Formats: sequence, structure tokens, C-alpha cells
Amino acid sequence: MPKSSENAYDAIIIGAGIGGLVCGCFLAKAGMKVLICEQHFKPGGYCTSFKRKGFTFDAAAHSFGSYREGGNMNMILKALDLDKRLKITRYDPSDIIISPDHKITFGIDTEKTIKELQHAFPHEADNIRKFIYYLINAKPIEFVVLRKKTYKEFLDQYFKDTQLKAILSLPALGNGALPPSLIAAFTGIKIFREFILDGGYYPDGGMQALPDMLVKKLKELGGELRLTCLVKKIKVKDNKVTGVVLDKNEFISSRYVVSNCDARQTFVKLMGKKIIAEKDLNKIKNMIPSLSLFVLYLAIDKTFDSLPTPGTNLWYLPHYNIEDMYFLAKKRKVNKFDAHMVHFSPDKKTLLAFINAPFKNIKYWKDNKHKFIDAFIKEIEEHTIPNLSRHIVYKDAATPHTMYRYTLNYRGAAYGWATFPEQLFTPELRQTTAIKNLFLAGHWTTQTQGIPGVAYIGLDTAKLIIKKETNING
Amino acid sequence: MAENVEKEILKIISEVSGFDVKEIKPDANFFNDLEVDSIKAIEITVAIEKKFRISVRDEDIPNIMTVNDAVELVNKLLNQGSIPSAKV
Repeated sequence: MPKSSENAYDAIIIGAGIGGLVCGCFLAKAGMKVLICEQHFKPGGYCTSFKRKGFTFDAAAHSFGSYREGGNMNMILKALDLDKRLKITRYDPSDIIISPDHKITFGIDTEKTIKELQHAFPHEADNIRKFIYYLINAKPIEFVVLRKKTYKEFLDQYFKDTQLKAILSLPALGNGALPPSLIAAFTGIKIFREFILDGGYYPDGGMQALPDMLVKKLKELGGELRLTCLVKKIKVKDNKVTGVVLDKNEFISSRYVVSNCDARQTFVKLMGKKIIAEKDLNKIKNMIPSLSLFVLYLAIDKTFDSLPTPGTNLWYLPHYNIEDMYFLAKKRKVNKFDAHMVHFSPDKKTLLAFINAPFKNIKYWKDNKHKFIDAFIKEIEEHTIPNLSRHIVYKDAATPHTMYRYTLNYRGAAYGWATFPEQLFTPELRQTTAIKNLFLAGHWTTQTQGIPGVAYIGLDTAKLIIKKETNING
Repeated sequence: MAENVEKEILKIISEVSGFDVKEIKPDANFFNDLEVDSIKAIEITVAIEKKFRISVRDEDIPNIMTVNDAVELVNKLLNQGSIPSAKV
């Protein structure tokens, strides 16, 4: 691919989350000169790990999905020759949901999962099989009829049992931060398919191994990564990007810019009203982000009987009203917990647990962080891991403000925009933008979320750019 | 009018798929030839509905496989006048 001599780079990518890294690798692989700018001191976005007192903790993402043969993560890591360089284990079961009446295990053997659900809900046996088969076999065209539907409407087509519907909605609440009546059917289905039916994958050494390996690949392909490098402006001339401005007004020219960071920031802060029409800015300003997370990090002195299987996501469902759980999460008070997820690390030394939480303000979380930590530990001890508090040797937590600080995601949003059907597929937030040679990637493009989702969009954005290059060069 | 419909639809497909308008043949299959995935299929449908102020009915969707199919359907819907929102 011919390079433009007057530009420092062919493509600059803002944000070294998984989407940005995958996009960068594929652009570099196509022969383009790539620079990724990341404001944090480590790559990965929500997929990072950190060390405290000799323990390794995953910061937010604690496993990933879609690594089956033919799955998007599998296809992407294979295309980059990284499947053999990363040791990825699938933990079985990937997820367990415990409710007052049921314990449902989601494992590698989908037929076993179907049987388990059928055993718990015999009156829905046929529908369970139809539902799971749809999730596994649906063709792209079949999703089009779901474009305006909610996940609740989709579930209602299959099931009558409210307990079953709540169990099948909990992963969407956990991984999408919306209840079934508000989350798009498309998103709910993708979460269930890619995170639950094909979930539980974990790279040896912790989640950081994934972005670290992508960085290694990027560099081998001639790409560059600058850490602690905040992009201040995207420069545009005659409706076409010319490059980015960094700290100290350093301008770096580039033919393409891919923004893998928060889309609100991309349009409002990095470009603003001189470049973007007011009506488009207002539209973006009025869009609603997803909720954030409160993540609890615990290190334990030794393994003990009540711990869950390492690598398994253990979900606690205290009752069957997921709608109520969402409204509670939006307010999130320290004296009222309900559903939670807890994950015992594959190295058997630490636990990560999370609940959805609102951004509120920095003072609220400063004042209440430790109260939340202690209340959350009590909650886990009571419902999922008895005797937990006797074994804790280190405890800490990330509040929604921690999420914001490390990723600059608007209001610490865990999953980009809230995936209401009416916010999904917003034309202004497609990968191709109204600004020539400015592309978007990541979970703020409105179509996707989670590691497999952003990795796929990262690849797809790279493909769109490569196609454009081919079109220009004939 | 029919020519304009085709031109507008090609423009939308090109924008979403990344393929140049010149490369998109009337009998091109969205999924096999134009690398359209579930996201792009929805994006194209939503963009077409918005552009022509029409609502594509659920029962018509499985039959849209090629660019021609899409053009024919949009022409049919436009000729029928305003279509009430599809029951979803």
C-alpha cells in the first residue's frame, strides 16, 4: 500500500483498548504506518490487570467469549497468528446462576446446559431447545426483524415462565447493565450467545496478557504505541482529518484517524462545534451512556471449601424481578444489595466481584467506597461464599470514578452507550463518520460491546479503511 | 424515480459495507459477496427505512438476499404509498 510522504502516519488510533489494538494490528498488517495513542500507562482499556502485595488482579474484564472454532475472537487471534502464542484456557463451567429455587450451570457442553434448563423448567422444555438453537444458528438476516425489539419481547416469544426469563436475563443485566424491557434484543442475544454459551476463556497470566500480546504483534508489524499520551484534539480541514494534537500542542499528521475512545469525547471535546454541526452535537449530548461498575478486589490466604470453581462466573440472583434490580442499580445504596457476580481467579489467589453502579459524584464514592467494600463482602459471604471474610488478606475496589479515571469513558460507562433499541445503530455513530477519513471503533459505535464485540468492530473498521485504500489506489 | 431509488440504495450499501459503488453489482449477494454481517444488515435496513420513509415488514426480510431484491422491495413499498409501521 503506498504511503503518503507528507504525513507522519497513515493512521492514528486514539485508545489502546482491545478494539484499538485489533484495528491497529490489521492496519499495520496491511502495510500502513500506525500509531496508537493511549492516555493510560498501560494498554487494554477495561481489559487490564494490576498487581498489589504480590497478587495479580484483573481490573474489570475477567474472562472473554467467542473463542470457539469460527467465533470472532478465534478468527481474529488466528488471523494475527496469536492463537499459538497465547495460552488460552476455557474454564468449565463458564457461568453458574444461583437463584432461590435453581442452580443452573452453563458449560462447554451446550446439550448439557439445555438438559439442565429443561430439568428445572420441564414445562418450557421445547421452547428452551428452540431458544438455544436459535441463538446458536441464527443467520445475519434473521437479526434484522429484531432491530426495534427489546430482549423482553424476544424472550416473550419463547417463554411464559417468569423465573426462567429472569435467569436468561441476568447475564444481559450483568454484561449490558440493562433489564430485559430496555436492552435491545440484538444485544441481549449477542451477550447470551457470545459471553454465556461460548464464554469462560482466560489467557494464562491474567487478562493483561491479551492486550500485551496485541501490542507485541503491533510492534512486530511496524506499528507504534505511545502510552500516557492523551489526545487533545482531532484536527480537521475541509471536512477531512489531518491528524491529532497531543499535550504541549504537539501536532502529528495522519491520513486516517480512528477514535476508539468515548464517542461523546470524540465529537464534543476532540472536535467540537467548529467542526461538528450543532444538531449532531446535541444528538450525541442527549444520548444515554450505560451504567458503570463497582468492582471489588479480594486476595485470600488459602483456598477453602466454599469457593467457586476457579475461572467460573458465579451469578447470584436473589429474586426474579430484574427490572427492579436495574432501578436499584441506578440509585445504588450501600444498605441495599441484590444481584452480584463473583469470579474466583484461575490462579486461585484472588476474587473479583461486581455490581452495576451509577456515576454519581466523586465525593459520594470517596465517602462510601469502604462502606461498599464491607457491605459487598458481607453480601457475598451470606449468599455465595460462606466464611469468605476469614480468609481475606487484601481488599480494594474500583468505583465508577476509577473506571472513568483509567479509561475516560463518559461517566465511567461500562458498556458504551446504553443499548436501548432506539440508541442502537445510530447512523451518526457508525464506524464511518461524516468527517472524511475519521472512523470510529470500540463499544461507543453503538452496535457492540464486550471483548469479542470490540475486537470484531476493530477488525471491521480496519477492513473498511483497507477497502477505501484499495478503492483509491485502484 | 426507480433509477434514483437504485442509486440511493447503492450509496447506503456502499457506505455501510465499504465496497465502492462501482464494485456493487445488482445481483451481488449481501452476505456472500458484500461481507454483510448482522450489524451491517440492520444498519442498511435502518438507513433505507429512514431515507425512503418506509417500514420494511418482517415477512419481507428473509427474501432480501441481493441488491436487486432490496431495490425491488423499496420500489414496491414506495408504489404502495405510505405503509403503516410494521407490527413488531
